Amino acid sequence: MSRLHVPARQLGTLAGLAGLCVLLTILTPHFLTVSNLLNVLEQTSINAIVAVGMTFVIVSGGIDLSVGSIVALAGVVLASALRHDWPVAAAVPVALAVGSACGLANGLLVTAGRLPPFIATLGMMSVARGLALMWAEGRPISGFDEGFRVIATGRIAMVPASALVMLGVYAIGQVVLSRTVFGRHVYAIGGNEEASRLSGVPVYREKAAVYALSGACAGLASVVLTARLNSAQPTAGVMYELDAIAATVIGGTSLLGGQGTLGGALIGALIMGVLRNGLNLLNVSAFFQQVVIGAVIIVAVLVDTALKRRRG
Amino acid sequence: MRRVIAGILMATLVAAAGCNRQTAPAGEARPRVALVLKTLNHPYFLDMQRGAREAAGRLGVELVVQAAERELDVEKQVQIIENLVQAGVSALCVAPSGSREVVSAIAKANQAGIPVVVVDTRVDADAAAAAGLKLVSFIGSDNYQGGRIAGEFLVRESGGTAKVAILEGIPGHETGDSRLRGFRDAIAASPGIRVLASQPANWERDQGFTVFQNLLQAHRDLDTVFACNDLMALGALEAIAAAGRDGHIRVIGYDALDDARKAIAEGRMDASVAQSPEEMGRLAIETAVKAIRGEAVPAEQMVAITLVTREAAGAAPAR
Repeated sequence: MSRLHVPARQLGTLAGLAGLCVLLTILTPHFLTVSNLLNVLEQTSINAIVAVGMTFVIVSGGIDLSVGSIVALAGVVLASALRHDWPVAAAVPVALAVGSACGLANGLLVTAGRLPPFIATLGMMSVARGLALMWAEGRPISGFDEGFRVIATGRIAMVPASALVMLGVYAIGQVVLSRTVFGRHVYAIGGNEEASRLSGVPVYREKAAVYALSGACAGLASVVLTARLNSAQPTAGVMYELDAIAATVIGGTSLLGGQGTLGGALIGALIMGVLRNGLNLLNVSAFFQQVVIGAVIIVAVLVDTALKRRRG
Repeated sequence: MRRVIAGILMATLVAAAGCNRQTAPAGEARPRVALVLKTLNHPYFLDMQRGAREAAGRLGVELVVQAAERELDVEKQVQIIENLVQAGVSALCVAPSGSREVVSAIAKANQAGIPVVVVDTRVDADAAAAAGLKLVSFIGSDNYQGGRIAGEFLVRESGGTAKVAILEGIPGHETGDSRLRGFRDAIAASPGIRVLASQPANWERDQGFTVFQNLLQAHRDLDTVFACNDLMALGALEAIAAAGRDGHIRVIGYDALDDARKAIAEGRMDASVAQSPEEMGRLAIETAVKAIRGEAVPAEQMVAITLVTREAAGAAPAR
């Protein structure tokens, strides 16, 4: 029922993004250039990839605060593997596996352990951060071959590879969320968990999978981040969870669960990326930038809530 | 409803662009120089900004100052540099948040033909060479030397016996590591000076407080703390006061912040190594302007380090 309105809401968010772009084009000649737009795509990719997993989690009625720390942990493990001359094709799956394992642990705590997602992932946030610091002994691990770095620095027909990774993840995520039984279950669980259980949805299994998926997305984000910076830092990814939640929510996903789209999350991530880029281009003071970004998040959700109420 | 969202977004942005532009886009040929700092919520970098503003005003340069919200956020700093390259600046001064991580962003500035001056923290030499970076100049102070000066002060003051706790900065940062090495090398020749604990407090005042409070629990006989920056030293001072041990523990800091100078003048703190961030900021802008004009500049420019102590109420030359 509520999903019928989703495309319209997505259009509204898209209009917001378009308006923002038009405005920036008027305000600064540096915004609407091919190189700057590609630049924005590259800068958005990491947050956007994390936001894919976050959307699944939030649609299922949960929250994942641990993704930033998982980015750091998966990153340092990946970096060690690469430094020990593991081939890229082996090291990247390791990062995804580390992310998935942390996510699965979250999922088990939420289901079998019956912990509220907020608490389970808050704990994981600290555990994964500590493990990352232990693993790396507090230091960044850096210096990788070009063969690995192309994941972020490579270009195909001018488009940054990191942006292509991002688009690929959205394409796959979109199919999974909207065209599979698993995807339908995620909406159902977020809409009414008890009713889903009674109608035979394997709630525990699907929820555990959702958190594992979120961890895997964080693992993938760590690959892009590590390739981009040519370095993995155990202190990386702080506040990534909040950026991802913001992108998801700006995109119209309800924190109450049961509704939301990946398209919206991508647009939400782009709005945040364009905004940060534009504020830099316009030379807005560093402190005021934070005020603007916070205001945009609040306004986007305010409008969304108001519209929902009007529709009843 | 689309109009509502778009309208509100636009209004916010117009407000942002309208009332908060740091500088008016007035001059035609005024060179635009960007200074990207690690953070804007540390007095050290605010002093650097002040020096840069002074030089920019004097030289008729439009100055853009940007920094990530958090000092640790290298990725954000990389984004800021990329965006400034897109916006087009005549020269770029950077205080790198990560010695290696920042390399790819500086390479983009190089490709755009923007001269780059590095301030405060060096770019990793190997990573820079691998990427073929061209850097106009490095402006900083020798952190190793600063650490040594602090260590030598302790050797003199203590007469060769002390039980020391060290508060380290964020692990893996060149700045803190060098200070630590300098300090340890200076005390190495005095076997009576023992380091009982060395723990990171991540440059933060509150962490300096809690970490030192914990160390005091573990080592009741501590008589000296060396903190790799003043914020941590000031945190430790509070922990000492809370434990009622004022005056029994020697406190040596680094940066000579205003608060630290005051504590030293009041006799609550013993010494602090003074760098000259303001001078660094000034020199960075002057160097950038020279680079824009195509004048030759030295590859390295070191600003003086001094030790602020109770005896020398102000800044006394160290040595």
